[in-house]
Amino acid sequence: MFMSFTITPEPRDRMNKRLPVPFSAQLPEVIRSNYGKWVARKFHGNGIIEHISETGDRVFTVKVGLPSNSRVSVDTLEKFIEIADKYGLGVVRATRGMNLEFITDSLDKALKIKEEVEKLGFPVGGWGTSLWHITSCTAYLTCTTAVVDAPSITQVLYNNLKPYFTGEEKLPAKLMVFVAGCTNSCGGTLAGDIVIVGHYGQAPRPDPERIKFCLPSSSEALKKATPDVAAVCPVGAIRVFGKPDGSVGIEVDERKCIACGRCKNVCDYFDWDPTKIGVAIFVGGKTSNTGTGPRLPYKVVPWLPVNPPEYREVVAAVKKIIDVWKREAQPGERLGDFIDRIGIDEFMNKLGIPRTRHNRCEETSWNFGVRQFITYM
Amino acid sequence: MGTETVQKASDLERGMKMLEYLERGPWPSYVTELKRTKYPIEAYAEGLARKYTPWLSGSFRVRYVFSGILARRSRDGKFVEIHFRTYAPAGRFYSTSYLRKVVEVAKRYGIGLMEFGGNTGALVLNMIAEKADEAVDAIRTIMGSDVGGSGDTFREFYACPGPALCEFALYDTLHAMDYIRSHPAFYRYLNTQMFPYKIKFKFSGCPMDCATANSRADFALIGTWVGAPEVDQGLFRKMVEEGKINPKEIVDSCPSKAISWNEEKKELNIDGSKCLKAMNCIKKAFPAIRPGRNRKIALLVGAHIQGHFGPKLARAVALLDSVEEIVPFATELINKYMELAPRRHRIGDMIIRRGFKVISEVADKTLPNKTRGTPSSHLRISIGTNLTDDEREMYENWAKQVTSEYFGGGSGSR
Ligand code: SF4
Ligand code: SF4
Ligand code: SF4
Repeated sequence: MFMSFTITPEPRDRMNKRLPVPFSAQLPEVIRSNYGKWVARKFHGNGIIEHISETGDRVFTVKVGLPSNSRVSVDTLEKFIEIADKYGLGVVRATRGMNLEFITDSLDKALKIKEEVEKLGFPVGGWGTSLWHITSCTAYLTCTTAVVDAPSITQVLYNNLKPYFTGEEKLPAKLMVFVAGCTNSCGGTLAGDIVIVGHYGQAPRPDPERIKFCLPSSSEALKKATPDVAAVCPVGAIRVFGKPDGSVGIEVDERKCIACGRCKNVCDYFDWDPTKIGVAIFVGGKTSNTGTGPRLPYKVVPWLPVNPPEYREVVAAVKKIIDVWKREAQPGERLGDFIDRIGIDEFMNKLGIPRTRHNRCEETSWNFGVRQFITYM
Repeated sequence: MGTETVQKASDLERGMKMLEYLERGPWPSYVTELKRTKYPIEAYAEGLARKYTPWLSGSFRVRYVFSGILARRSRDGKFVEIHFRTYAPAGRFYSTSYLRKVVEVAKRYGIGLMEFGGNTGALVLNMIAEKADEAVDAIRTIMGSDVGGSGDTFREFYACPGPALCEFALYDTLHAMDYIRSHPAFYRYLNTQMFPYKIKFKFSGCPMDCATANSRADFALIGTWVGAPEVDQGLFRKMVEEGKINPKEIVDSCPSKAISWNEEKKELNIDGSKCLKAMNCIKKAFPAIRPGRNRKIALLVGAHIQGHFGPKLARAVALLDSVEEIVPFATELINKYMELAPRRHRIGDMIIRRGFKVISEVADKTLPNKTRGTPSSHLRISIGTNLTDDEREMYENWAKQVTSEYFGGGSGSR
């Protein structure tokens, strides 16, 4: 069954880069022949879309929720492949939100796909006025700079918010949630409706023993170049200096530090107190040009404690944010557009969250994204 | 030493209990998936219990491969973890025949686990360290793809599904992604780590920006048009009569109030000079309202999350007629970037440091007759927070309050 192939005889051949199989080779015939000809779509319950082409052809996509961080085992993937071959057009798509889409050519087959994946325990949904996805970075699964664990937070949030994904409970508009384990925010984007980001909540502490691996070997060497750990700090909080004995010392000015975590990116040997780590919650960001346009989010909750595996504080805060929006937004109003209408101060009052220098949240009304071109358009 | 081992055992035990909890919810659990593979679940469990990532960066090299392979070792040295980023076809459509090959590679050279829809755009495969060398060749020969897209090079390109599935696409995003990725000017840098930091290209077919180019791409290419959307009055009237659309709602949903509805003539008018390309009306009344015919690709630069000065949105450069036009601009700007930016600065950071004139100079030279945008200021926000203990307590109290609001006062209730 295994294809035979030969190992590169001379490793230097590896210098010849390859490009992936062209996308057209991955597309089923009906998509290839209707490429660029789609004219309409119809929803069949939450999670099934019918795409209608000007040629009269139709395809149906079924959106399926994957486990956190879209981690799947080969076993599970094989089951998906079977379903895609039996009831679909032999193609699946990985979405931007870490979900999976099956593509087929009739509503009957689409419903059959829904039935089959649900039997395996995977929910169908995530379009229209619902929770589209909760994406997660890998954090403790593989990442070296993770502060909190994003996949487990995502799992707990999904467990609590599932009815919003499947459409049993309605939201005013689409909702996209992104979870990241640290301030690098690999969790998708910061410009999401609700974004949860782990951080240290305090200034980093150099590991007294091992920090030397990230420093020049002698104060003499220090004269030639600033070491990366100090150079990356955007506020100049890290001072590297030569000691009288010729060795190199490092100091972090806690009053200057904004806990951005960039020093940790270039040097593993910083430590933080696990009892002070937490997550910040950002709301109202989006990249789409609809409504009030693309915008970065507001940091409404600068810090919440993390308590695995239930993460109740995080779940409760997210639910509270959703409830305020659900109760008071107009139909079709994304969270960010809703906040723009009532004002961020009013929104924070509704949350009852204490205001400090960390969540001052100034309103902005610039035009971002494609809107920067409007004077010419 | 003795107490330390006891402590360790109990961290592992607590961690494994946590994992059990994470398998019990209604949502399909990633823990269940992990347990079906050879992933070192103990390391993860311990990390969870200790609130500390178990991984440190490892050094692992496959000869003559400079990007895409990431190695970790656990803090206690007991485990290694290696994963490969592999290039994905544009739009991330996977045929089942391709996926069968992925399965084959993941079984023979990996631990049977993958990140199916990685945030970078790549398909990530967890591999076995001893077989990493062969795995690279297998990915090339069996799957017909390559490893790559980590470090200070081009990250995996990303395109929205565009014309393959979406009626709103204003240009061919999938073709554009393949064109850029394989263009000699960019291909020569592919997998070669020589930029100050990473560079990302993202392609969105329309202003709805499903590729999140506005917030993540150093080079964002977003489909748009000039003037007003096109209205098919006959079709629009028909849709109104059929009750499919409500003209009032369409007028109200326009953020710039560019639309008016003439009740007598049953005519919808859109003022093109006001139109913000928000797509609100088009989304609601497609195909009676369509984007204008004078289509363009908006070129924006400098968005990112990771960077020296924090997250930023993209800034406008010019309106292009085709994706080919970006090549001279992008190559020149990348040269500037390599020359001017300090290490670990993204293009957006360079703009903050040097001013937008760096960009406009390059654009003047390489896109001489193109319509220019008016870039707005970068909005800067901080992600991390350095709190005092008093502040921490304030938020802890708020957390207690919302937690009891949603979970009740008692323990164990869900
Ligand atoms: S956001 Fe932080 S924890 Fe998550 S993958 Fe990125 S660097 Fe790692
Ligand atoms: S966390 Fe950021 S601000 Fe603080 S010392 Fe490190 S790099 Fe500087
Ligand atoms: S960005 Fe526009 S064209 Fe692309 S998938 Fe989204 S709505 Fe469709």
